[in-house]
Amino acid sequence: MPEQTLATQVRVTRWVVGAYLLGALLHLGQLPVWVIIVAGCGGAWAMAAAHGRARLPGRPFKVALTVLLTGTVIAMFHTLNGLEAGSALLVLMGGVKLLEARSARDRLIVIGVAFYLLLAACLASQDMLRAPAYLLQTWVCCTALLLTAHPEAPVTSRAAALLSGRSLALALPLALLLFALFPRMSGAFWSLGNPNQAQTGLSDTMSPGSISELGNSIEPVFRVWFDGPLPPAAERYWRGPVLHDFDGETWRVHGGGFRQETLEYLGRAYRYQIRLEPDANPWWPALDTVQTAKAPGTQITPDRQLLAYRPQHDAVTYSAVSYTQTRSGDQLSIVARRFDTDYAHQRNPRTQALAVRLRAAAPDVPGYVASVLALFRNGNFEYTLSPPVLGPNSVDDFLFKTRLGFCGHFASAFALLMRAAGVPARVVTGYQGGEWNPIGHYLLIRQSDAHAWVEVWEDGRGWVRVDPTGVVAPERLQRGILDLLPGTGSVPERLLHEFSWLQEGHQLWDAANAWWSTQVVAYNYASQLRLLDWLGFDNPGWQQLGWLLAGALSAWLLVIGWQFGRIRTAGGPDRLARAYLRLCARLARSGPARQPHQGPLAYADSLPGASGPMLTARELLNQYARLRYGSVLPTLAQLREFERRVSRWRPPHRNVRASPEK
Amino acid sequence: MQRRMAAWVRRRQGTDVLPVTLQRRRLYILPTRSGLAFGVLLALMLVAGLNYANSLALLLTFLLAGLALIAMHACHRNLLGLKVTELLAPDSFAGGHSQLQLRLANPGAQPRVGVALAGTGKPGTGCVVPANGEAVVHHVIATPRRGALPVGRLRLTTTWPFGLFRAWTWLHVTHAVTVYPRPEGLRPMPAAAGAQNGTAPRDFGEIDEWATLRVFRDGDSPRQVAWKAYARGGPLLVKEYTASGSAERLFDFDVLAGLATEQRLSQLCKWIVTAAADEERFGLRLPRVHIELDQGAAHRQRCLRALARHDPAGYDQGAAADA
Repeated sequence: MPEQTLATQVRVTRWVVGAYLLGALLHLGQLPVWVIIVAGCGGAWAMAAAHGRARLPGRPFKVALTVLLTGTVIAMFHTLNGLEAGSALLVLMGGVKLLEARSARDRLIVIGVAFYLLLAACLASQDMLRAPAYLLQTWVCCTALLLTAHPEAPVTSRAAALLSGRSLALALPLALLLFALFPRMSGAFWSLGNPNQAQTGLSDTMSPGSISELGNSIEPVFRVWFDGPLPPAAERYWRGPVLHDFDGETWRVHGGGFRQETLEYLGRAYRYQIRLEPDANPWWPALDTVQTAKAPGTQITPDRQLLAYRPQHDAVTYSAVSYTQTRSGDQLSIVARRFDTDYAHQRNPRTQALAVRLRAAAPDVPGYVASVLALFRNGNFEYTLSPPVLGPNSVDDFLFKTRLGFCGHFASAFALLMRAAGVPARVVTGYQGGEWNPIGHYLLIRQSDAHAWVEVWEDGRGWVRVDPTGVVAPERLQRGILDLLPGTGSVPERLLHEFSWLQEGHQLWDAANAWWSTQVVAYNYASQLRLLDWLGFDNPGWQQLGWLLAGALSAWLLVIGWQFGRIRTAGGPDRLARAYLRLCARLARSGPARQPHQGPLAYADSLPGASGPMLTARELLNQYARLRYGSVLPTLAQLREFERRVSRWRPPHRNVRASPEK
Repeated sequence: MQRRMAAWVRRRQGTDVLPVTLQRRRLYILPTRSGLAFGVLLALMLVAGLNYANSLALLLTFLLAGLALIAMHACHRNLLGLKVTELLAPDSFAGGHSQLQLRLANPGAQPRVGVALAGTGKPGTGCVVPANGEAVVHHVIATPRRGALPVGRLRLTTTWPFGLFRAWTWLHVTHAVTVYPRPEGLRPMPAAAGAQNGTAPRDFGEIDEWATLRVFRDGDSPRQVAWKAYARGGPLLVKEYTASGSAERLFDFDVLAGLATEQRLSQLCKWIVTAAADEERFGLRLPRVHIELDQGAAHRQRCLRALARHDPAGYDQGAAADA
């Protein structure tokens, strides 16, 4: 190992430390901050040592540090397995390795750590925004690899970065080909511990009275691509958990025991595909009422929820067919009737009394529903996202005191009024509405579109959807929550709402995200088969994929092999000479050709004509002689200027040439 | 195994006569250790990407795989078309080193970076052959024994750009390093001949220009004995004069009777080196080689080469014939 100069040492160390620190920074959100800080300290120490301002620690210190850091990771994560603990350990051990990075081999190990950190970052998050950072990190790692392999190479860091960048650019076509065609396996070899994903979404309980401020974020929940026309805005109900149990304050889901009634689907069928963002809940939203769904790992429950067998932590794509209207001639089962008319009798006495009174006045169930809706419409109720907190008799408080609430309050009160009158009713939560994205042609449903409504059983019609919120605040259903309550929402939401160009920009951004999420992140075997189908293969399968892959790979290798196998000699004419020869060739077409014995000046003298293009040509030939034989080498700018003048030169017109000289 | 590989390559390529242009046929390429480690990294990334159906990990894997392939081509191209124009194998003394110099010409428009020369061992740091330019790569070989040391095969290697692959070529050259005898021996230099047919140095003032005194040995000229010291009761010492100016000496192989051939050659070598350093005129007489009195670097080299080429077997036969 030859002794390296200080400058070389510093440069290589800088790149290696840079690659390592960038790799650690990619985990900024996922790993505890102290891990990143330790990484930074390791990097700073290594840099100081390279500059000769600090000494690298001895072996006992490093052994102690390794033991201490490993112990801390085990204490924090209770394991060394799993993505987070593994990444933390990798970052820390990379930092320790930096403290002994003296030889090229040590440095290569640190670069390897940086590559593994990049892989871990890919596994942790596939956000579109992070992709450029990953690409940058790949570039930095490759440059560090180059400089580590050739510390003494007389190339600048810039040249090294350019070289690795060019290599990556040449590799990109292959990467895309392989990405598109490399056979994907469905199903995992092993599984990783749950990554910490977003835990937002619907809840299996609803207690309107205890919430005084509704979370109202514009986070996307899912996106829907329709095969055909969209359902009307008022029918865009996205069904989530159905709540059956009510204890006077809180609505809860019920385990089951319901029977599937036969449904008659009315109106047109809506076919669509949904891309659901990572969600810890087992309910996959679907347009109400879902008939069939192609969603592996889910079932359609008797109360028409699309329920996954286990929560999904990654984004999922599924397709379904729904009808917005249904009818059922069945009788409600006795069990279901008992569940859906049950309520806490000792709570909300005034509501119970009101229900009995109104029911007695109404001729039938539809009439009763209408009279309760009329009560909501005319009872000075107000829609707000910041309702006051209610007491134990939450529905009594709401109906008779505060009269302020959001969808949950209205649904809860309505359902109780139904049950207290003996009419089976259940609360359905989910989403309502959605924003049409004209760029990506999909409907975007956000967290702020969360909604709750009620279903009432009418004999002969089955479950009928009633949305009391729509009676109080019809705009809520038509245009979304921000139109209804201009003062609510966070600052970015309001800004988005007020400025249309901002909204368009946001839609473009969301469309790009959606494209990324569905076309890149969710690219799988099915997508590959679609690609083959699009390319015109009949019955696409593994075999066609393999052939295509082999063909594409060979084509790339041929191109690259040809590109690299040809040695570009510099034997031919240089740029200046090429421009000169071009000029001579064009002159020869409209005048005398240059004789082999003529240099540029002699040729200029032999040109006929004293004006116009010929004069310019003469000037150009003189300029060439100056550039070629002058005492100073021509600059690039001069060269370009000459080339430009040559290409702008036009031969004289025939008649001009024929005219006598002045 | 390695020897058989070498023999195969030798058979395949034959002997090279410089200049040699490095064609595809004679370029070899294999991944380095870090290249293998990179391969393991790629395999792990691929498995992880497939297992978790992680698109970005797969994309990264494929990008890096592409990079490795590009690196392979770039590494191969770094030697392809390079012209080996000349090999200098400077003479050396036995037990010393000779620094081989290989001149490379790059006819291409792209510089060749990190081209190193090696025998069979680990190559050192490389040199850059600029576009349309020339460069010289060095390689030091040990020269343990007198005679002609064939250079045999040389390895021109590169791991540029990423150190993931090593491309190399074998050069089988006919060049040999002429290895002079090891300059050693204790015999005094033969007396200068000609005008100053004595031991006294030429007149440079009062100071005697003898350098050392040493114990008398059989065969020493009585004129060299330091009689004054002997008269004072000291041991019988002999003055050894430093050579100077234009002393003329004849170094004769046969004078050194009683020594083995190699020892004689070493002694002659030492005399020649010393005499040449003092810019003396000297001649050399070997059993079948007679080099007339002369001086200068070329003369020194001629004499030393004669020593290097001396064939003891031939001499012995010659001596037998004489008898």
